Amino acid sequence: MNATEQIVAKARELLESGTVECVIGYERATDGVNARPLFVYQAEEAGKLIFDQTCAHNLAKYLLNRKGKATAIVAKPCDVRAVNLLINEHQVERDKVLIIGVVCPGMVETKWGRVSEKLRQACELCREHTPVVYDFLVGEPGDEEAAVEYPDVARMEALAIEERRAFWEKQFSRCIRCYACRQACPGCYCSECFAERLDPLWVGIRIAPSESWIWNTMRAFHLAGRCIGCNQCERVCPMNIPLSLLNRKLEKETLELFGYRAGVDAETPAPFATFRKDEKLEVGE
Amino acid sequence: MSDYISRADLLSWLEKVSQSRDLVAPVKIEDLTLFQKVERVEDIVFDPGNTDLSPKEFFFPKSEVLFYVDRSDGRVELVPAEVEQETVIFGIRPCDAKGIAVLDLPYLEEPADALYRQHREKTTLVGLSCVSACPECFCTSMGTTPDDASNVDIMLTEVEEGFIVQVVTEKGKALLPEGLLSSKEVSPPAAPSVASVPSEGIAEKMHQVFDSPYWDRLADRCLHCNVCSYVCPTCYCFDVRDLRSGGRVERVRSWESCQSPGFTKIAGGYDPRAAKGPRLRQRFAHKLLYFVEKFGVTHCVGCGRCVRSCPVNIDIREVIQDVQGLGVKSEA
Repeated sequence: MNATEQIVAKARELLESGTVECVIGYERATDGVNARPLFVYQAEEAGKLIFDQTCAHNLAKYLLNRKGKATAIVAKPCDVRAVNLLINEHQVERDKVLIIGVVCPGMVETKWGRVSEKLRQACELCREHTPVVYDFLVGEPGDEEAAVEYPDVARMEALAIEERRAFWEKQFSRCIRCYACRQACPGCYCSECFAERLDPLWVGIRIAPSESWIWNTMRAFHLAGRCIGCNQCERVCPMNIPLSLLNRKLEKETLELFGYRAGVDAETPAPFATFRKDEKLEVGE
Repeated sequence: MSDYISRADLLSWLEKVSQSRDLVAPVKIEDLTLFQKVERVEDIVFDPGNTDLSPKEFFFPKSEVLFYVDRSDGRVELVPAEVEQETVIFGIRPCDAKGIAVLDLPYLEEPADALYRQHREKTTLVGLSCVSACPECFCTSMGTTPDDASNVDIMLTEVEEGFIVQVVTEKGKALLPEGLLSSKEVSPPAAPSVASVPSEGIAEKMHQVFDSPYWDRLADRCLHCNVCSYVCPTCYCFDVRDLRSGGRVERVRSWESCQSPGFTKIAGGYDPRAAKGPRLRQRFAHKLLYFVEKFGVTHCVGCGRCVRSCPVNIDIREVIQDVQGLGVKSEA
């Protein structure tokens, strides 16, 4: 059985047995070539499920809308790390989520109506093909994964600070503050985002370079040590702002300072949610 | 015989236009095509297909100061903002031009929005008809056509080596210098065929399916970002805030969207549209029902931008199709 057939069979079984109320997976989009999220509530509808290299959406975000309800989720390695993040942060209960993990072949670059054979940059850089945890696995687990590298971040770090500033000024100037990055991000779930807070007012409502600068940098900082690298922010950005570069810089710093990567398990306390009196970072000393 | 202009003459005319006014046209910005103030006319993109954002921002900017509050000697003075700059938008497609005509309905209805009216009065639209159709477009189902010249001041249609020119309004005529156009034995290409959507009677159907569970199911996958509203040529909602800027206060309005969390939150914290289903339904009910009831036309021009840009493929063409089907079932 291929991945799609295995997912369909598992979803049908889970719904028929009443193990879960809903299976969140993917179906074909209206352009005929891309994928879109699908919520399956009836076993008869499980046949619509698909899995291929266009299934780039991180469905873990949707678990936040189904708190306390038994739900199965089709999840790639990065999506599984998002589930771990949400469990770790007490947003989702492990025993309410059934993870249909998928051994990931990497997702490809797509546009409306078009699918290329080129891997997405995030998938090109990713070293994980087998989910760190699952209840049911689709595909054969691969060999041990290679070490994580950050060639894109290294290129940015090699630039002079003025060049970096100019680069980001140009990128952020395109931002239309549609908040697609936030809405797609499994780690962005504040009941009131700082960007919408009136008291205190962190950032004004203008869609203009200075406000966009604040929005984009604060968004990234709020994900420091929490971003699981699924790259949804960048995938959904209608203005093609390379947001993952910011997230990956913070991910690299967190890895170097704390030896921590978010979502690898659901138990290790996150560095920025932990205070240890004896901790010495040699930062600012 | 048609009025005609060669591509070279068109570019040198646009160059002259740009010396006295802001010339706005589609240009490439990284991988995007956007309407922007043109620095060099050679940068103008003539390729078929819609820009990533609509040109509505030149009438309804992303953010705009409505008025300033000046305080001196214990007196408070309100200074209205004014639009000074004359602008020419070149390369606007018929769907986007129709989009501006649709924006006119709420914004120019008395009492008209003063700034919108000034932007409108100071802007001349030079349209470019579509000689090919994008797969996501459905303009002919939304009251316009790929060669509709009725909402621009001048319409151009690309033919070999140049363009057929239709001067539509006096404003358009005033922009063209004497002797710029020549007469040529050339006829316009046939308008491309555009995919159709069953929009007939959609307002009535929307009424019937208002309470359908369909909206909750559709909203399951909606992320409630503002992409659809912000790429849309007709979405016109905004938020208003007073901001201190230097020694004065500015009243600023910025784009907002009915899909935003908290868009309808009221004093005391209650939000009548907090749930995902009613929130998503609002977008389609406004476009296909409320606006039709109030102004007699759909609040969609079929440009296909939301279809192309939605991160989770909420496709208005499919919604219209589904709603038509739902209506039938509910009567059975």
